[in-house]
Amino acid sequence: MEVRFKLNGKEEEVTTEPYLRLIDLLRDYFNLTGTKEGCGVGECGACTVLMNGRAVNSCLVLAAQANDSEIVTIEGIAEGEVLSSLQKNFLTYGAVQCGFCTPGMVLSASALLDQNPNPTEEEIKDAIAGNLCRCTGYKQIIEAVKETAKETIE
Amino acid sequence: MKNYDSIRHTRGESLFVDDIASPEGTLFGYVFYSSVAHGKILNLDFSNAWYVDGIKGIFSAKDIPGENQIGGIVRDENLFAEDTVHFIGHPIALVVAETFLQAHEAVKKIKCEFEKLPAVFDPREAAAKDQLIVKPRIFSLGNVDDAWNSCDYVFEGSAESGGQEHLYLETQASLAFPIEGGGIKIISSTQGPTTVQRTAAQVLALPMHKIEVDVIRLGGGFGGKEDQATPWAVMAALAALKLNAPVKLILPRQEDIRITGKRHPYSSDFKIGLTKDGKIIAYEATYYQNAGAAADLSPAILDRTLFHCTNSYFIPNVKATALSCRTNLTPFTAFRGFGGPQGMFVIESAIHKAAQKMGVDPSVIQKKNLLNEGDEFPYGQKTLNCHIKKCYEEVETRYNPKEIYQRIAEFNEKNKLVKKGAAIIPVTFGISFTTTFLNQASALVHLYTDGSVSVSSAAIEMGQGVNEKLRMIAANELSISIERIKIESTNTSRASNTSATAASKGTDLNGFAVIDACKILIERLRKVASEELKQTNPEKIEFKNEIVFHAGEKTGLTFSKLVKAAYSKRISLTAQAHHSTPNIYFDTKVNKGEPFAYHTYGTAIVEVTLDCLRGIYKVDSVKVVHDFGETINRTIDLSQAEGGIVQGIGWMTCEELKWNNEGKLLTDSLSTYKVPDIYAVPKEIKIHFLENVPNPFGPNKSKAIGEPPFMYGIGAYFALVNAMKAFNPNLDLNYSAPLTPEKVLLTLYNKRQIGRE
Repeated sequence: MEVRFKLNGKEEEVTTEPYLRLIDLLRDYFNLTGTKEGCGVGECGACTVLMNGRAVNSCLVLAAQANDSEIVTIEGIAEGEVLSSLQKNFLTYGAVQCGFCTPGMVLSASALLDQNPNPTEEEIKDAIAGNLCRCTGYKQIIEAVKETAKETIE
Repeated sequence: MKNYDSIRHTRGESLFVDDIASPEGTLFGYVFYSSVAHGKILNLDFSNAWYVDGIKGIFSAKDIPGENQIGGIVRDENLFAEDTVHFIGHPIALVVAETFLQAHEAVKKIKCEFEKLPAVFDPREAAAKDQLIVKPRIFSLGNVDDAWNSCDYVFEGSAESGGQEHLYLETQASLAFPIEGGGIKIISSTQGPTTVQRTAAQVLALPMHKIEVDVIRLGGGFGGKEDQATPWAVMAALAALKLNAPVKLILPRQEDIRITGKRHPYSSDFKIGLTKDGKIIAYEATYYQNAGAAADLSPAILDRTLFHCTNSYFIPNVKATALSCRTNLTPFTAFRGFGGPQGMFVIESAIHKAAQKMGVDPSVIQKKNLLNEGDEFPYGQKTLNCHIKKCYEEVETRYNPKEIYQRIAEFNEKNKLVKKGAAIIPVTFGISFTTTFLNQASALVHLYTDGSVSVSSAAIEMGQGVNEKLRMIAANELSISIERIKIESTNTSRASNTSATAASKGTDLNGFAVIDACKILIERLRKVASEELKQTNPEKIEFKNEIVFHAGEKTGLTFSKLVKAAYSKRISLTAQAHHSTPNIYFDTKVNKGEPFAYHTYGTAIVEVTLDCLRGIYKVDSVKVVHDFGETINRTIDLSQAEGGIVQGIGWMTCEELKWNNEGKLLTDSLSTYKVPDIYAVPKEIKIHFLENVPNPFGPNKSKAIGEPPFMYGIGAYFALVNAMKAFNPNLDLNYSAPLTPEKVLLTLYNKRQIGRE
């Protein structure tokens, strides 16, 4: 079946199978391997992408559901070589270790900051509650998001 | 300074095994495994599986050209089961098809009948049946039997600690493809590339030089990919060899949880003898390690339990016995701390019990018995540069436990259903592989004519930041900009006979090797510089920030010019160095020696709040003083410590493995096995770097950081117990971790005299 959608700012049109998941379409067809599969059942958040500005688990979304929507993957977050302030703060605060959860974390946090530029710590936690990280202990991730919000407000 | 890989991580550009562009025609594997815990295979029928579209091959024990053997320490584990299966998840066959879905479909069509045999899941029951992996191991010091009489108090008890699923975010992954000359290249998510290489060679009946293993990075390891990345890599290699095609084998999450090994559950008994004022005179413990169905790394893990049986205390009379018990569960394996945390949990339980009975706070006993300089561990090594007292005292001055206890007492006085608790936990952890020969590593450094530098070593990057640390070490040694340096993938063709990146030793061993290789290059460059500057004494040449100095004077010669000059003079710009930790040994006949290059020290105070109506709780704070030596990279070390603490709290609190009475793991998904999520983070984590503690035995005076902070998590257990005691002073405590909210609730109300308050 035909699926037309905007992917990282570019109009795309592909033919896909009805059973194909969005994560497979992104990884296997578009080679956007920044979207990771950590569990395949929507528990870990490693496959998070933005769908019309909302963070979704791309392992739970069918490729066909992306029709007419706007999808942003981790590859669409930086402006060319220039990292977003969120990405920069992930580096500064040491919010990155093995890197497998990082794309999903960055996207969930991006979705939050787009909708709520000045979140409380509880709101930050709520926004990334669906993303598991086994390395960092989360503290640095919360700090990175907080700092980004602070910079944006200033 | 950031982790070397971090920029690419945040951009989603880092490649993990499944992200690498697969060669044309890559096939996909799926593992078929036993559904019974112990049984004879009566009938194995693949016929229906062969009807599935796209199927390319089914491989089982009889297809192995070499040995069906993957056991490292003990040769007791086959790659595929032969006539008997020993645990649920025991691999029986690998199915390979054109797509992952086809391979999965074909696995579902395999028929296998078993005749069930009696199965054992409890380590004590296994020990009673003499099902031991190795002979019991005993560490002793002084004479406990003589000592009991001189004790004012003797207390006995038992302690249980549960297993722990690694839950590395990237599941086990490998991609194998045939290369020229009948060899196989394996890209694996392994902490032990040589283990994969050696085992693949053995199974495929090929010389090791025909197997090349390459590792870019791991999406988390924590020990779970030290030995247990091997079977999947070897299966992929077998299929690639047989089908002459690339084969990818990635375990889906649920299969990974079901069939791979985890931290060992332990069941232990203790006996502790003290004087009236809290001095520990004697300590005896027996550890029943649930090893699962095969040895894997269990014997080495068992030993580390004994090495850390007295944690941070000097006890003059110790007898610690450890039994590795063979059961019908998946073979348990390395996990951050490697048996050490299990040993420490028991001594802390013993101290807690003694303190309760004696009516004092456990910290009173802890403080009385902390290691001093020159004190002997039960394995014969004496402390050197011992900082445990410094850490403990620094916790007292910085965080004021007295005030915390006072505040908690007042809070508990005022609140009936919400209680707080706190506990202090000192940690002393030995650094080195206790299997002495593993303490070696190598590095290969190339200087290219454009001034860029390539560093290869045996170290595996798995998020711990070893690549960035090695880069900093090389930049420092060569006195050049860090931007010039690239850390290569870990490859068995560039670093041979590697030890796994484990035991917190990645940076220590490989860092020293990098330093040595850089020193060789510097010596050569000195000579070239001296000649270029028409001088006679290379000793007077120095390098500072890419500039060549002669006799303390700046010259016009730069690093990149010098490298070009060296090339023109036909001087080798490549150096290889091998490092082995000096002066360590361990005699396993008498269990004495100096197994560790040094020890790492630290102390934490943990505070929790418990909702006694619901059993749920919150870790309020973890405040630490830790001995990092002279840190190479503060951000990396801090993140390692914080991550370790949260993982340790997970082990002690929410992470619970449950099996049914058939040996089937019930907690086999992320919805049933709870790792700490963002809500589980302590409200406050404070980590103070102990000052002025250069470590003469670490590269650039640093200390290893991977494992030790994990054990601060034990503090959360005892803080919770203290909160529970505040609610119900009579509760019957059995020192059983993890303390899940369910267990807290069920324990809180035992022996409580309801209605009297």
